[in-house]
This record gives sequence, structure tokens and C-alpha cells, in this order.
Amino acid sequence: MWLNPIVKKDVKVQSRSMKICFGVLAYELILALVFFFAMFIIQENNTYYSDNIYSELVGLYPVLAITQFVILGVIVPVRTASSISGERERQTFDIMMTTGMTPFSVVAGKVMTAIVQSMLFIAASLPIMALSFVVGGMSWSYLFWFFAIALLISLFSASVGILCSSLCKKSVSAVIMSYGFYLIFFIGTLVPSILYEIYSINYWYNGSSVQSGYSYGENIALTLLINPAVYLAEFVALVMTGESIWDNSFDMTTVGGPIRFLADGNHWIIASTVLFLAVSFLFLWLAARRIDPARKHRRGR
Amino acid sequence: MLHIDHLYKNYGKFQAVRDLTLHIPQGDLFGFVGPNGAGKTTTIRMVCGLMLPTAGSISINGVDALTHRKEIKKQIGYVPDFFGVYDNLKVKEYMDFYGSMYRMHSGEIGRIADDLLELVNLSDKKEVFVDTLSRGMKQRLCVARALIHNPALLVLDEPNSGLDPRARVEMKELLLNLRSMGKTIVISSHILSELSEMCNSIGIMDHGNLVAAGRIEDVMEHVFGNDQLIITLEEGREIALRIASEYPKVKVRSAGEHEIRLSHTMTKREIAEMIGAMIAHDVVVTGFHKQEGDLETLFMCVTEGDGGIGSGISGNGIDAGNEGEVGVEGGTGGGESAVRKEGSRDVVKSDC
Repeated sequence: MWLNPIVKKDVKVQSRSMKICFGVLAYELILALVFFFAMFIIQENNTYYSDNIYSELVGLYPVLAITQFVILGVIVPVRTASSISGERERQTFDIMMTTGMTPFSVVAGKVMTAIVQSMLFIAASLPIMALSFVVGGMSWSYLFWFFAIALLISLFSASVGILCSSLCKKSVSAVIMSYGFYLIFFIGTLVPSILYEIYSINYWYNGSSVQSGYSYGENIALTLLINPAVYLAEFVALVMTGESIWDNSFDMTTVGGPIRFLADGNHWIIASTVLFLAVSFLFLWLAARRIDPARKHRRGR
Repeated sequence: MLHIDHLYKNYGKFQAVRDLTLHIPQGDLFGFVGPNGAGKTTTIRMVCGLMLPTAGSISINGVDALTHRKEIKKQIGYVPDFFGVYDNLKVKEYMDFYGSMYRMHSGEIGRIADDLLELVNLSDKKEVFVDTLSRGMKQRLCVARALIHNPALLVLDEPNSGLDPRARVEMKELLLNLRSMGKTIVISSHILSELSEMCNSIGIMDHGNLVAAGRIEDVMEHVFGNDQLIITLEEGREIALRIASEYPKVKVRSAGEHEIRLSHTMTKREIAEMIGAMIAHDVVVTGFHKQEGDLETLFMCVTEGDGGIGSGISGNGIDAGNEGEVGVEGGTGGGESAVRKEGSRDVVKSDC
């Protein structure tokens, strides 16, 4: 089987470096701290004679999972943002582009390396993560979903990083730009919904009459399909309660449009997952196009 | 082997390469020379597919480099001027990495890498980390890396920059060795003496133009024309010039205050007669000698300095030719002087 040589080389090179060891150590330390802090909070909220202490311990799962997703979301773009620009700075990029590798396989190799590294971190965190399963009440399928979401977040973060890396000549600029992209996804996608809420409050405050028929304004919340924070909140809600965060958000008798369908059951998380995958691959494609020296030729001279 | 036809590269209004036509036959070791900013690296990058030309075509063994990039990549081995390294990667792994980029099987890579490392005299460094090698060794390793997929054309951009004399000699020997194996090699360099020892053909670029190209001896003959004679004198410059111009087999190339450069087809006796005539007319001749043409002189003749107008033969569409001929399309040919407007720049054409 042909393994992308960039993955093979990068993993080999990284495994020889002490950086990866220190990285895993820092990752574990943060998780351990979060774990102890969460335990402390749970203990504070429950007396010795409480009968719900075990159900409270189940709360460790989302806490540890979200902590890891956030860490991955922070470190993966740094890793990939410096990949293409790093090759340029090392002056190995030109050589790479004269070999048999296509621009997409170069980009894919860099992203896969970042995902492999993320999975190493996730695997290393399993002993701490397993503590949330000790007391029972959690299905092992949750562990699978945790891996799946970690994989998706790694792919998405890596694709943001690699796109910025292809756009910038310097690694530092690429990292900064990656976090700028994050801001757009976290804050930018929230803005339309916030504006709509303000508009709605003013609308009702001014004593406007109730509109007959379906309302479609709530569909502005569709921008949140690509908001990572909403995605994680939805994941936690589904895992912990079995219900979507949107279940009671809208009056289904008055809301129309796609949001009516997506707010039902697990439709939102499925649509959001598909969208995140699509955006990730779009970013990979754009990055590959960006580094392709022949792209102008195809466009026509 | 390598055919470049009417190649242009523009950066906005600036023309980095203009109307470059060059044909390099199989097995040639072609030296690309020119001052900084002449367009050598731009041309090399276009040949290697790292940059798109604004116009023109490049083909290697009949395959269009712009439309069949995948095939062309298999035919080119590229050695850049700077050798970037990956930390924590051993020499053997470095070769393996690049071999696998061409989707070669690991067994095949191992076998070829062993042969190549032996060729570049790095067999004993297989297990050594690349970043610990000396610059010369790194450069040789880079050549081995560029040959891992057995390309038809090896392109080296300033491979000797920053190398110590020993490393340069080793690199030269390596390239000569490759040439004897029948590899077609294009090398750009500033070290003209080395190029003249290695290359059998050259191309000289200046301000984006290919000002001379072909077999070294042919270009020399074309540029220098006939035999060169340098006469040094103390007094009587004008008289000496007048006497020289009276001889139909003589052409005055340049005339300094104390030095006159001539090209001629005279016999030794005729030279003696002319010098004698000068002395008889009170010209104080302090010496005269035959000018031996070398690559550095040729380079100085055909390129312009940064400071002002130099001299050079200039031509568009110079063909290195398969038979070693040098043709200057639309050029003036040797022997005549001309000043031609080219863009905003004067190109002074005169023979050296």
C-alpha cells in the first residue's frame, strides 16, 4: 500500500524529536488539571450522603471531551499553518514541487500528519478519559463518537491551517491568519443570529402584530451550522440528554424553512458534520490550488 | 532534448526573460551564465515547472512541459541553489523520502540510492543525519536525490555557491562523471572558469536576453571573430588607428588611451609589417600580444555592467543548435557594430 511519503517522513521526524514528548506531557497535564478541577466541583456540589454523586461523575465525559477538542482546535492549526510556509522557509518546497507529488497530495500529506499527531494525543489521553467511564452509565459508543468528533475537529482545524499556510509566506503570519479564520467561524457566524434577535426584540417591543403563517427569519441561525462551538454544544447535548439544543428553541408551529427540519432530532449534527467536512475539503482544494505553480496556466493565459 | 521556444516571463511591465529560444541536445553539459538578475534562475524555474512562462513553449524529449507536467516531472531532476534540510532525517531516509515521492518501490529505492550514494561518494554516510553533513556533502546528496528517479535532464541552479574549493572540485568531478554517463545537464553558475572546464556548451543571459549560446568554441569564435591582437602604446594612438584601418584584414575592436584591440586574419609577417609601419610613423609601441579568448573575457564582452553601457552581441532566438552551430536570428553577426533601441535601453552591439 502506498503511504503518503510526507506523512511517513513527518511522523518519523517528529517521533525523534523531544518536542512531541513535551507536547504529550503538557496535554496530559492540562487534562489532569481539568479532571481534578471537575472532580473538585462535583465534590463541592454533592454531600457524602447524596445519592446522585455517580450521575454527576458522568459529567466528567463532556468536560474532558470538550477540553480535548479545544486543545486540538488550538494546536492543530499551529501545526499545519507552519507546514507549507515551513517548507518554504526551509527552502525544500521547490524541490517537493518538482517531484512526482501533486499539490493536493502535498497538502493532504501535511493534513494527515497533523491528524496522526492529534490521534496520538487522543490515544495518550485515554487513561484519563477512561475515568469518566469507570462509574458506569456511559456507553462505549460514546468513546467512538469522541474519536469521531476529535477526528473531524482535527481535519477542520488542519484544513484552516493549511489554507493559511498556502496563503502566507511566513509561518507566524499563517498561524495568526488561522486564528483569524477561527474568529470568523466562532464569532462571525453568530453575528447574523444576534442581529436577528435584536431585531426581533425591537419588533415585539414596538407592539407589532403577530404575523400569520410561517416565519422564516429563524433560518438565519443556519449560519451556526458551521460554528464549532454550537457543534460541540449540540454534541454534548445529544450525548448527555439525548436531545438537540434546538429541540425547545423554536415554536415548530410557526417556524418554516430548512431550520424546521434541522432542529428536529439529530438532523442538525448530521448536517453540521457534512458541512464541516465539505468546508474542510474545500479548504484543502484551495490550498492545493494555491501552491500549484501551474494554476494560472489552466486558467488560461 | 530540451527545446525552449520564444519564452517570455513578465512581472508586470518588467520583462525577466524575453524571447528566449534555446535547444540543448542530449548528453550536453550546458552552462547557463549571466550577471545577477539576468533571468537565469527564472528560466530554470520555468523549465522545472516551478513557474509559468508568460509566453513561449518548453519541451523535453518532445513532451510539452506546460501541458504534460506529470510526465515532465519524471524527466527532470532539480538541484536548487540552497540546500534545505529536514532535521532528524538520515541520509538513507532522505533518499527514501524523495524516491517514494515518485512512487518507487522501497526495494528499488534502496538499490538505486545505494548506487547513487556511491556515485556521490557518500556511501559511508547512509546512517548519518542530513543536517550534520558539510555543505559540500549536502550539495552532493542533493544531486543524488535529484537522480533518484533517473531523470533525462538534470538542472542545477548555482550548485557551487557557498562551497569551499575542495567541495567545488568534488562537485565538478561529479558533474563530469554524470556527463560521461550521457546525462543532459543544465547548470547555472557564476564561476566561469569552472564552467569552461566542465561544459561543452553555454548560454549567456543578460537583462533577460540570451545574448550568446552554443558550443563554447563556436561562441568564442562568433564573439571574438578572428584572431585578437592587443597593441599597447605610449604615444601616437590616432596614427596607430589610422594605420590599422588601412589594412583590410584588420578590424578595430576597441581603442583605449594606451591599448588598441584588433581582430584580424593577417599572417605573422603582415602583423610584423603593420607594427613596423606604426613604429616608422613615430607611434611608441611598448608591446603587442595575441589575445587568448576565455569564458570570462567572453562573458565580459557580451554582457553589460551595472554602471553603464557595455558591449555585447545581442540577439533574439539564438539557437544552440544540434550541430553546435550558433545562429543569431535577426542579429548583425560578427564584425559589425550597431546600436539598436530595445525598449528603453540601448543595446550596443560590437564585437569584442
